[in-house]
Amino acid sequence: MDDSRTEEYLRLLAANERAVVAYVYSLVPVRADAEEILQEARVVMWKKFESFQSGTNFAAWAKKIALGLILNYRRSNRRKRIVPTEDAFIEAVAAEIDRIDAEGDSRSEALEICVGKLPQAHREMVLWRYFEELEVAEIADRSKRTESAVYRMLSRIRKMLQECIESETTGGVRV
Amino acid sequence: MSEEEKFHAAINGELDCKELERFQAKLLDDPDALSRYAELSWLNGRLHAIGDKLPELTREVRSVGQQRKVPVWLSLASAGIGALVTLAFVLFHGGQFEPVATIVEAEGCRWEGSDLPTAKGSRLPAGRLSLVAGMATLKFDSGAEIVMEAPAVLEVESKMRCRLIEGSLIADVPESAHGFTIDAPEMEVVDLGTRFGLTTNQFGKSHVMVFEGEVEVTRNGFEETTSLKTGNTLVNGADLMVPDEEILRDVEPDHRQGWSQIESSKDSFVRFGAEQKNYGSNPLMMVKETSLAPNNRRRGIISFDLTSLGDREIEQAELFLDVQSSGLGFSTLVPDSKFSIYGVIDDSLDDWGENEVLWQTLPATTDEGLIPELTKKVGSFEILRGASAIAAVKVSSPELTAWLREDANRIVTFLVVRETGEYESQGLVHAFATREHPTAKGPTLYFTLR
Repeated sequence: MDDSRTEEYLRLLAANERAVVAYVYSLVPVRADAEEILQEARVVMWKKFESFQSGTNFAAWAKKIALGLILNYRRSNRRKRIVPTEDAFIEAVAAEIDRIDAEGDSRSEALEICVGKLPQAHREMVLWRYFEELEVAEIADRSKRTESAVYRMLSRIRKMLQECIESETTGGVRV
Repeated sequence: MSEEEKFHAAINGELDCKELERFQAKLLDDPDALSRYAELSWLNGRLHAIGDKLPELTREVRSVGQQRKVPVWLSLASAGIGALVTLAFVLFHGGQFEPVATIVEAEGCRWEGSDLPTAKGSRLPAGRLSLVAGMATLKFDSGAEIVMEAPAVLEVESKMRCRLIEGSLIADVPESAHGFTIDAPEMEVVDLGTRFGLTTNQFGKSHVMVFEGEVEVTRNGFEETTSLKTGNTLVNGADLMVPDEEILRDVEPDHRQGWSQIESSKDSFVRFGAEQKNYGSNPLMMVKETSLAPNNRRRGIISFDLTSLGDREIEQAELFLDVQSSGLGFSTLVPDSKFSIYGVIDDSLDDWGENEVLWQTLPATTDEGLIPELTKKVGSFEILRGASAIAAVKVSSPELTAWLREDANRIVTFLVVRETGEYESQGLVHAFATREHPTAKGPTLYFTLR
C-alpha cells in the first residue's frame, strides 16, 4: 500500500475511532474482551483496506468488520460456555445500535452535557470507570465500598445519564 | 430484580450463564425491551468511547499518575504496525493542532498533567494547561494576554477563546482582540476591550472583576447578559455545596513510621461581613485579612479531640492544612501572605458549635483581633504568591508540641488568621480543605507518642 493510502487509512481511522470503540463496547461490555476485539479490528481493517472504496461510509464499513469479529470472538472463546442465543442476541442488539446511531449526533452531544451535570461523587466514579478504566474491584478498593455497592452506583449513574439525555433531546432547549 | 436492574446487571457482567440465557431469550421475544436494553448498551459504549474527554466534560482536575491505561495509538503499536504510529502522530500534530498562543512568561512555574508544552516560548495549539505553582503569561495570536495564577487549569481553544476550568487569571485584551471570550463554570465572559480578572473554584463558583474597560457576562440560567464596567464585580454560582451523599475521601496513608494522625473534630470559618452566617458545613475554611474592605475579613477555627490518647504524652507534632483554591479574589493583588495559628487557652471555650459559630461568637476574639490573655501563638506559615495548591502546609514548632501536651481537657482549639493584608480590595481569599471536603484531606494532626 502506498503512503497516500496509508495516510488515508489513518485519517479515516482517527476520524471514526470513537464510533468504532463505542460500537464494540456497546456489544461487548467487558473491557478485556472489547479491547482485544478492537485491537484485532484495527489490524483486520488495515489488511482489508484495499477493498474499501474511498468516499463511502468508513464507519459503517468498520462496524461491519467489528461485528464479524465480535461474533467470531464469542465462538472461539473457549474460556466461557457459550449461550446458544448469543449470536442472534448480539445481531439483534447491533441492529438496534445502528438504529440509534442513525438518529444523528444529538444523543451523543446530550451525553457530553449530562456527564458535566452529575454530582461530584458520581463524576469521580465515571472517571474511574470510563477514563482510568479501572475494574470494579479496583474502584471498590479505592472508594472503600463493596463491589456490589460500586455496581449499584454505576447503574444509578447510567440511569441518571439516560434520564438527562432524554430531557436534553426531547426539550429542544439547550441550557 | 426489575427489568431495569437486569439490564444493568447484564452490562456489568454480573449475570451467570443460566441467567444470561434466560435474559437473552426474553429480550429476543420482546422488541420493546430489546430496544430499551440497546439504549443502555449504547450509553455504556459511548461512555467508554469518550473516556479521554471525560476529565474535560466533568471539569474534574486529574493529577499526574491518574491516566488512562491504554492510549488509543499504543494498541496499534502492539498490533505490530509500529511504524505507522509515528505517522499517526505526525498526522495529528501537523494537521489538526494549529498553534494559537505562546507562553511568553513562565517564572517559577511548575506544571502537572498538562497536555501542551510548558516551556517559556512554547507555541500552543488547543489543549489543556495545568499550573500548580507560579504565574505564567500566555499571549494569544489575537493579541489577548492572560496571566494564569497557580493553582489553575486552563484550556486553550482558539486565538479568541479559552476556558478556565479552575483557578484564577487576569486578562489584558487590546483592541485587536475585542470579543475575546473566556468560558468558566456556569458562565461566559466576553471581553470588550479591557483588563479584568476571573477566578473560579472546583465547586462552580466564579468571580469576575473588571479593573478597566468593559466585559459582558452570560450566565447559565439567565437570559440577559450582564455588562460590567470598571470597578464592577460579579460573583456567580451556587454557594459552596457538597453533594448530599457518598462523600469520597482520598485517605493518604501516613508513610512515616510511628506517626499517628487525628483529623479535626470541628472546623469552620467566620466572616465579618456575614455576621449571621455560619460556615460549619463548608468544604473550605476561608481566611483573609484586609483593611480595605473589612467585610471580607475571615478567620478560621479548628478543634481536635485528643481524648482517645488518654494520659499518653505527645512527643512531636505537626499540623497539616491542605491549601485549596477559594474561587474568591486575585493572587496578583496580595503579597506573599503570612498566617498565624493561635491556641485557645481557656478550655471552657472548646465547646464552640461547628454549626453555630459566628463572627461575634468566635472564641477568644473581638472585631479587632485576638484577645491576648485568652490566646497563645503556637505557629506560623507563609503562602507565597501563586503558590502550589498541592504542597500542603505543615506546621510544627516547640510551642505547638508543648500546647498539645499541656492542654488539660485534651480538646485543643486553634484559630487560623492571616497577618498580611492586600494591595487592592479584590485580593485573594486563602482557603484550606475542611473535614467536609469531598476529596481533599481536612485539617489533621500528625504526632508521635512517648
